[in-house]
Amino acid sequence: MGTVHAKSLDPLPMHGRDLGVHPDDLVELPEPEQESKQEILENKAVVVQHVNVQGLGRTKEDLLGYEISEVFHAKNLIDVMKKSHIARQKLLRLGIFKEVEVLIDTSEGSDALPNGLDVTFEVTEVKRLTGSYNTMVGNNEGSMVLGLKLPNVFGRAEKLTFQFSYGTKETSYGLSFFKPQPGNFERNLILNLYKVTGQFPWSSLKETDRGASAEFNFPLGVTNHTLKWEGVWRELGCLARSASFAVREESGHSLKSALSHTVSIDSRNSAIFPSRGALLRINQELAGYTGGDASFLKEDFELQLNKRLFWDSVLSASLWGGMLCPIGGQPSSIADRFYLGGPTSVRGFGMYSIGPQSEGDYLGGEAYWAGGLHLYTPLPFRPGKGGFGDLFRTHFFLNAGNLCNLNYGEGPRAHLQKMAECLRWSYGAGIVLRLGNIARLELNYCVPMGVQSGDRICDGVQFGAGIRFL
Amino acid sequence: MSLAAEAFVSQMAAAEPWPESATLYQPLKEDQILLSDCASSLAVQAYLRMCGLPVQVVYKSNAEYMSPSGKIPFIHVGNQVVSELGPIVQFTKAKGNSLSDGLDDVQRAEMKAYMELVNNMLLTAELYIQWCDDATAAEISRPRYSSPYSWPLSNVLAYQKQWEVRRKMNAIGWGEKTLEQVYDDVTQCCQALSQRLGTQPYFFNKQPTELDALVFGHLFTILTTRLTSTELAERIKSCSNLLSFCRRIEQTYFEDKSS
Repeated sequence: MGTVHAKSLDPLPMHGRDLGVHPDDLVELPEPEQESKQEILENKAVVVQHVNVQGLGRTKEDLLGYEISEVFHAKNLIDVMKKSHIARQKLLRLGIFKEVEVLIDTSEGSDALPNGLDVTFEVTEVKRLTGSYNTMVGNNEGSMVLGLKLPNVFGRAEKLTFQFSYGTKETSYGLSFFKPQPGNFERNLILNLYKVTGQFPWSSLKETDRGASAEFNFPLGVTNHTLKWEGVWRELGCLARSASFAVREESGHSLKSALSHTVSIDSRNSAIFPSRGALLRINQELAGYTGGDASFLKEDFELQLNKRLFWDSVLSASLWGGMLCPIGGQPSSIADRFYLGGPTSVRGFGMYSIGPQSEGDYLGGEAYWAGGLHLYTPLPFRPGKGGFGDLFRTHFFLNAGNLCNLNYGEGPRAHLQKMAECLRWSYGAGIVLRLGNIARLELNYCVPMGVQSGDRICDGVQFGAGIRFL
Repeated sequence: MSLAAEAFVSQMAAAEPWPESATLYQPLKEDQILLSDCASSLAVQAYLRMCGLPVQVVYKSNAEYMSPSGKIPFIHVGNQVVSELGPIVQFTKAKGNSLSDGLDDVQRAEMKAYMELVNNMLLTAELYIQWCDDATAAEISRPRYSSPYSWPLSNVLAYQKQWEVRRKMNAIGWGEKTLEQVYDDVTQCCQALSQRLGTQPYFFNKQPTELDALVFGHLFTILTTRLTSTELAERIKSCSNLLSFCRRIEQTYFEDKSS
């Protein structure tokens, strides 16, 4: 058995478990009696003769062809190592393998070339069916959540997930099917079928949605696009008898059929605590064109810029804005309008408690903007540096925003003026905790300013969690 | 409505006089409303007119879902929302307007019994004919009920409503009845009402009560609504004193107001 000289591996950037293939696992150190066969392959041209994948069960081989074909093009050993590493990452990203190990060996057999190499991927497939069971308590309601996941259901990295939640008040479910294009994982199709129930105490509103959606995701240059069609049967009702009459008037059933397009450019280095980079996301939704009762055009955008300053502190600026134009003279529904305020948007104000309201129930607005300026720093004196302490940041913030209804008969100048008057703003400081890489918790001391009559404020300590934050 | 809520409502209501801006909500008159809802709504309107309380009728396609009890009609008075005839009678009573104050206990019990009879017989028969008679359901009820919605929601809601009513009919034992039996029940109910009315102008002699409003609402609506067959109206027409009773209330409370 021929061996490969370990020295050749040194220049590769291999560290951490990202690679998974530690040089020592791969290469046996040459033993004295084999010294005669030892060759230095570092700069020598090699030919990858075979690439094998071992451990396949239900996965179709043609899917893997796309992911590992690059390995054949490697011209020298370092290249083989690099390309195998990339192929391994690609295989793991499919989410259909628990483990992938790479073995590189000299070719054997009758057709073996002297400089031929064989690459073997040893994979372990994930289970055919995984299930989960949780209980949740919240919102004056207890519920039991059952989840079923069928990864790789048809052998080409498709995924079928089902979630069922049985609560003391409401049941909800969701069935989702995910299908990536073979060889192009970022280009994928998602089909959804769901029923969800939401209670919105700030509007005294209860909403039950039953819907179906089809979503196509694809990258285009540095941008990511999502095209989506969604058909939802919405049932609105009052949360309590005391709900305002304006909310009561919105009760009943409606059908929304909407086409939407989202484009995003994200160059940030982290979704929750970015220290550099920018995010731009533009979303537009056209409802009513494909049927249904609701017809409107909705546009909104999100922009975030981050810049690293001295001592690991980061200056971050964000701007949100959106507009809803009802089409065909029909007023917009309370379920489609924008809401603003809360511990992760305009801080210092109650959750979605800015703007038009009726008897204490917030009705949302057809246009909004919000901006935020943050200075993030590590915790004072850096406790737990390099570990637990890195989950925290302190921040100083300045937020501003406005939410109102526009009269579309007036020109853009009147709109801008309307958006600029009655400005809500607040400032303060607090601590942010990162939860995984998707959400964050904030504990802030807020000083709300520019409060308009009808707004609900939270003067002082405010606590909240959010996925999207200003 | 729970007892506590009812008590609360009456207490709140007593404090304020009847406002000019009171409104009554019901489904769209031309395209949507069904016989049973139309009858209930007319009964409440007749009652309020008998009390001399002005109310403006508003037609909303989602009236059923706006109503706190899910039933038609409901009134919006000040910041109170009250649905159905029974609670509305309570509500006006708390505001000092009552039609049955002049009755003694026996008469009041009798009035309640006849009101129950109307609700259990006429209202249930209307619901049965609307939703359990296949011809009426297919030609009238489902298309009208679903008219404000777009496909496929229209079908879903209409069948959901039909299923709900049929389940209720089965629960009260009407599921097995034939159309003919339902017509016979209506005849019996009308005969009972006709006998009670006799030659009096109203059920309790000179003064109209909520029973008169309720009977008028149902009979007048049945007489004036076109269904797949005229059988239901024919059954009522056999009691001539009920016809003149309807005519009398219409003339007294509806015609002079509009002219």
